[in-house]
Amino acid sequence: MTTTSDRDQLAYISSQAADARVNVELNTGDMTLNIGPQHPATHGTLRIACRLDGEQVIMAEPMMGYMHRGYEKLCEVRTYPQCTTLINRIDWLGSFANEVPFILAAERLMEVEAPPRAQWIRTILFELSRIANVALFLGDMGVQLGALTPVFFAFRDREHVLNQIEAITGGRFHPNFDRIGGLKDDIPRGWIEETKSVMVKMRTFCDEMEDLLVGNEIFQARCRGVGVIPADVALNYGMSGANLRASGVDWDLRRDANPGLAWDQIDWRVWTHPDGDSFARYWVRLQETREATYIVDKLLDGIPSGPIMAKVPRIIKVPAGEAYISTENPLGEMGYYIVSKGELGPFRVKIRTPSFNNISVVPWVMKGVYVPDVITILGSLYFILGDIDR
Amino acid sequence: MPQLPGLIKGLGVTAKTAVRTLFPKRGWKTLIPAPQKGAVTVQYPHEKEAPPDRARGVIALHEENCTACMLCSRSCPDWCIYIEGHKVKAPPRRAGGKARSVNMLDRFDIDYALCMYCGICVEVCPFDALFWTPEYEYSEPRIADLLHDKIRLGEWMDTVPDFLEYESGSEQKVRKVPR
Repeated sequence: MTTTSDRDQLAYISSQAADARVNVELNTGDMTLNIGPQHPATHGTLRIACRLDGEQVIMAEPMMGYMHRGYEKLCEVRTYPQCTTLINRIDWLGSFANEVPFILAAERLMEVEAPPRAQWIRTILFELSRIANVALFLGDMGVQLGALTPVFFAFRDREHVLNQIEAITGGRFHPNFDRIGGLKDDIPRGWIEETKSVMVKMRTFCDEMEDLLVGNEIFQARCRGVGVIPADVALNYGMSGANLRASGVDWDLRRDANPGLAWDQIDWRVWTHPDGDSFARYWVRLQETREATYIVDKLLDGIPSGPIMAKVPRIIKVPAGEAYISTENPLGEMGYYIVSKGELGPFRVKIRTPSFNNISVVPWVMKGVYVPDVITILGSLYFILGDIDR
Repeated sequence: MPQLPGLIKGLGVTAKTAVRTLFPKRGWKTLIPAPQKGAVTVQYPHEKEAPPDRARGVIALHEENCTACMLCSRSCPDWCIYIEGHKVKAPPRRAGGKARSVNMLDRFDIDYALCMYCGICVEVCPFDALFWTPEYEYSEPRIADLLHDKIRLGEWMDTVPDFLEYESGSEQKVRKVPR
């Protein structure tokens, strides 16, 4: 494992301090720079209002809500099966992972449990959507820093994973495959071998990304020591997922609070990095993607036989009660708090999305950074606008 | 202080991919450049993409099985299925029996401009009248033309693939597509 040398960080901080002194001496005025709402680095429509003093940001404020679609309210007027189609569209790069906590929460209220085969296939699809999601980040981070090649490689290799998801669920982006009590359908013949060969391809992709970016001097110079988030700050802002693990906090819901999926049946490890800078966030995600391919491989070997659907009534009425389930989604902790009154649809759904909390650290971390580093930090925090605004 | 190995490694990765694209594996012709063959993109109008059998391309209707029960229409999150029907007297099944009343389908339209392709209608249909097909070439110049009637939906029935066999260990039964 590589760590930032203290010299890199100190050099960055001292150059910031020197520039700030020059700004004070020259008595430069403030200027407001809006990054977004339509900026490629914002993955959608996020606006960041930066107050600049010279080249340095003195205050950055993320403004969200440009893509607010009111999913929490829309869920109230829909039945449970209809809700999953909406929930697919929250984090559109890892759709299947969005369905799982919602279905698990509804299952807990109904006191049904999916058969083991369904749970294993759920876990496999969950990890596949994680790979498809994070693979795009691994390439996209290069684009933020001006390297165009990685993103084409990412789009090329993500397609293999999406093809596998499409072959089993029927939808590339919006699988809508999870049902209360199990899954919609079983695995078609030949899918397991194909997925294994795709996992080999994805490991090659991870190696390529490591060669292209992690070893690249320009990438390291732009990322090392930029946007350092210490562990206590990350915890205070409610960050989760790889952003938190890159700050050195060993916290993974798949291991710590497994809600009944197959992660505890196999051996795998959680990757952390002590630095907390942009490079650490990239590195942790890269290792996680590679680890996810191994998780999928191990799960594919051990799928138990049996039914894929528990006994549930045809018209689903969830009994009155409240349940909160959260899982480790590609971006972090995603949870659904469902309040049911025993009707066809939920009475109230609170959706806890990871990007919303991850992006809230922006005002803290962007104090004093230079303008080009704003894009680096935004890229490395990795948010998806649908996940912020929902 | 810049160190060269990292940069050279990155350039090597890009060069390897470029060589693989320019000279795809084609037997003895390997040394003749063929960038079109090595590319991963599908040259769409000239060659067709083959979606998997389960792909949710468009919904086909097997009209004989539909009883106008309105289940699909009511469970649709977008309300994009329009059904009208009437009852007719049909001759009794057995000689001397009572005359049956049968639902006749007058109108079955799906507005693909509204459809979310969630597949709930296909799933709730108790009579096996709706099926997914991977067909995808039905774009229209005007958005109103995306409202397809039962004749058009019935034509797509020919493109419905057979249900796939399951992987070993499955207890699901493979369903049959009515032809």
